Amino acid sequence: MTAITPASRSRRPSKLRRLQPGLRNLMPYLICIGGFLIAWQILSLILGVARLPGPINVIVETWDPYISQPFFDDGGTSKGLGWQILISLQRVAMGYGLAAVVGIAIGGVLGLNRFIGKGLDPVIQVLRTVPPLAWFPISLMVFQDANTSAIFVIFITAIWPIIINTAVGIREIPQDYTNVARVLRLRKGAYIRNIVIPATVPYVFTGLRISVGLAWLAIVAAEMLKADGGIGYFIWDAYNAGGDSSSSQIILAIIYVGVVGLALDRLVAYVGSRVAKGGN
Amino acid sequence: MTVAFLTVDDVTQVFPLDDGGRYVALKDIDLSISEGEFVSLIGHSGCGKSTLLNLMAGLTQASSGGILMDGRQVTDPGPERMVVFQNYSLLPWQTVRQNIALAVNNVMRSSTAAEQSERIEQSIQLVGLGHAADKYPGELSGGMKQRVAIARALAIRPRLLLLDEPFGALDALTRGNLQQQLMQICQQAGVTTVMVTHDVDEALLLSDRVVCLTNGPEAGIGQILQVPLPRPRQRLEVMNHPDYYHLRSELIGFLQQQRRLKQRKQRVTPLVPAGKPDLETVRLGYLPGLDIAPLAVAMERGFLSEHGIELRPVAFDRWQSLEDELLKGELDVAITSATTPLALTLGLDGQPAWPAITPMTVTRSGNALCLARRFSDLGIHNLSSLAERLKGREWPLRLAVAQKGNMQELLLRHWLASGGIDPDREVELLALSPMAMEATLRAGEIDGFIAGRYRVAKAVDAGLTTVLATDLDMWGGHPEKVLTCHEDWALNHQEALLNLCAALMRGGQICEDPAEHDQLVALLGAAQWLGSGSALALQRQFDLGGDEPSGVRLPLNRFHSDRAHLANAAEGSWILSQFSRWGWSAFPSNRLELLSQVYRSDLCSRALERAGFADLRPERAPFALADGVAFDQDNPLEYLNQLPYCRATALESIPLPTGSSPRPIAAH
Repeated sequence: MTAITPASRSRRPSKLRRLQPGLRNLMPYLICIGGFLIAWQILSLILGVARLPGPINVIVETWDPYISQPFFDDGGTSKGLGWQILISLQRVAMGYGLAAVVGIAIGGVLGLNRFIGKGLDPVIQVLRTVPPLAWFPISLMVFQDANTSAIFVIFITAIWPIIINTAVGIREIPQDYTNVARVLRLRKGAYIRNIVIPATVPYVFTGLRISVGLAWLAIVAAEMLKADGGIGYFIWDAYNAGGDSSSSQIILAIIYVGVVGLALDRLVAYVGSRVAKGGN
Repeated sequence: MTVAFLTVDDVTQVFPLDDGGRYVALKDIDLSISEGEFVSLIGHSGCGKSTLLNLMAGLTQASSGGILMDGRQVTDPGPERMVVFQNYSLLPWQTVRQNIALAVNNVMRSSTAAEQSERIEQSIQLVGLGHAADKYPGELSGGMKQRVAIARALAIRPRLLLLDEPFGALDALTRGNLQQQLMQICQQAGVTTVMVTHDVDEALLLSDRVVCLTNGPEAGIGQILQVPLPRPRQRLEVMNHPDYYHLRSELIGFLQQQRRLKQRKQRVTPLVPAGKPDLETVRLGYLPGLDIAPLAVAMERGFLSEHGIELRPVAFDRWQSLEDELLKGELDVAITSATTPLALTLGLDGQPAWPAITPMTVTRSGNALCLARRFSDLGIHNLSSLAERLKGREWPLRLAVAQKGNMQELLLRHWLASGGIDPDREVELLALSPMAMEATLRAGEIDGFIAGRYRVAKAVDAGLTTVLATDLDMWGGHPEKVLTCHEDWALNHQEALLNLCAALMRGGQICEDPAEHDQLVALLGAAQWLGSGSALALQRQFDLGGDEPSGVRLPLNRFHSDRAHLANAAEGSWILSQFSRWGWSAFPSNRLELLSQVYRSDLCSRALERAGFADLRPERAPFALADGVAFDQDNPLEYLNQLPYCRATALESIPLPTGSSPRPIAAH
């Protein structure tokens, strides 16, 4: 007889198990990110700190003033990273905001009107594949101004996913809902208010989320080419300065760009989930 | 009969396919629904139930035919025909109350806000959802969602409520409660309801009538079942009602038959790819007689070769030898009595069952019963005087038919029985070759015979007989001869069969054309058809009074007019009822399966189209023979109960022979 007593089955909890639950959830992040930093540091040691600063060098070299004082302003373009990011965000806000308004409007028309939707589809499919920076020279020629051109590049980059997703969202309204509208003989206004808009919101926000990522990609690139201020400008300026801490400054800026991009993406997703509440 | 509230008139629905083809979802649907009636549409998935419902709603338009509500054609959807969709179709971003309000506020635009909100609250209370009025559909169970959908539908007071599998997605308990609720609500509101379902018990519990749809493509109405259970109904009371079991087994039987038909259709695939052969040789068996006039015309006028067929007609003088050759595979097709396809498939007289099909009726009517002159001399001129005379007789009346169990025998038996004569006791029926009948009568071996009109006419002309009865006394327009072949042959030589049918149909049209009469006589006078003597009889046979003109004329054969060509399963149903009546076979409980296997109305339609004729179809309405007893194809057992001399009405599920059953194929 091999009767197993409950006591014999309960093992002593492992070290990992004894940790606080919150900490246990963080374990994968700590280990993996730690591993990544260590690998980076080793690579830096192999290549030499001058060519690739390690994580410790980056923090040490940029602590003052870039990390400790994000909002210093020495006049001209010598500003803290906080200011630089805000300048970039301002441009993105204008270009992206415009793209959202115009994109949803155009997408709405294309979705509701099959004729226009079909006819303009090839144009959209061609234009949406144009890389953001390809627009920059022509917009400089048209607007004669670096700032406006940067905003235009944001706009033209961000608008396509919004148009396409809005149009698809309207076309993909479930037959069930349109049947309800037909049986009830809903008027056009009530139909758009009660069915088209709520049913399309999730699609629109998918488009908005793709667009905000693209916009952030485009602004950094545009600012590197030609701008006064902005995070892209900061990176290019640090590279051109060629000082001892230049590479550390660039790396720090890249990390900031990534974090802000992630934050923008999450923000749009959050707004989308709030707006589409009750859906599905 | 109340005036129809909703009429589905000859509706056919065709969907275009991506590959450029067409899918015929529904074909020739006719249905009338009275006000306040609850009708269920039942059938297997893909049979077009929901398609029909959408047509009634006006969400789609029929390809041909139309739907009338209150005498007005349904052209677009509207709130007076409210639909409860299969997956509820509630707007997920609106609460229960908002969902209902959207419908109410939109439909009751002219009412005040107070009236609207009163209606909304009332509807929510009706389905007992007061506590959930401000919840979103995503927070509700399936049963609650369905209640909201029903509340929304009833809130706008539709005149017709259309339910598309309303309880399909619910668990049994919820479903039962909701069915009961729906029944009460519909009854109180008196709203006409059409419900799509595949649940037999649900259909029986709720409906006044259950409409059974056959499998798609080309789904049609297979059967309409009345549910005469008293209302108000309670589930348990309904289930304990004596009629319930019978109704239920009828419905289940229908669905099972449809399933088997579906499987059968999937199993059998043509061996020969559907190409266009140059000239296909078809061996056709027949017995000379006026019935084969369309064949003679089709051959002589070259219709057959026009349709790419090289026909080898083989004449027989006895039906039995024709049947033997057909069964052996020496013949591809044959023109046989209308009863033959069913008799072969059932395997009557202890023969092995042989899967026969018939794609068309070649001829209708044209028979007459004649008795030897001495009966007329004795004053026997009609059925009642014959019955009177037979009462005291010791030996039975000896009558000849061309073949045991053929259409003539069924007609004769039915007619005799309607006059109170027992065809098994007071009459002796003999099978004789039609060619030998006159001589046998002359020799005194038989007292009379039933045969085609020209043979009877010849016997009358010869002074041997007088006519006692014609088709008009039995069944005017009955199917007389049909085209018969093996199911496999039809499958593998479908083109040839359709072409043959089309040619015979065109021939039939000419046979009925008075302008062609003289040419027809000349044509049939040829030796291989009827011979010159017969053609002369054909020419002047029309008065059958005997010595002095009586004015009684034999009805003509019908070769074409009035839907003569149709392979009508309802008539097959009558034939089955007579097989059972005379105790030749049990009544098949799977009769619809059997009939749809044998009566190939699909082939008939295609052949009609090929011949350039309108695609007609039989009426579903009950028909009556000369005795006036209505035969309803949906209820053949009741018909049998009304008839005198009924030997057996045992119901039995009859195993059907399949196409793969052995059949020797003779080399061409």
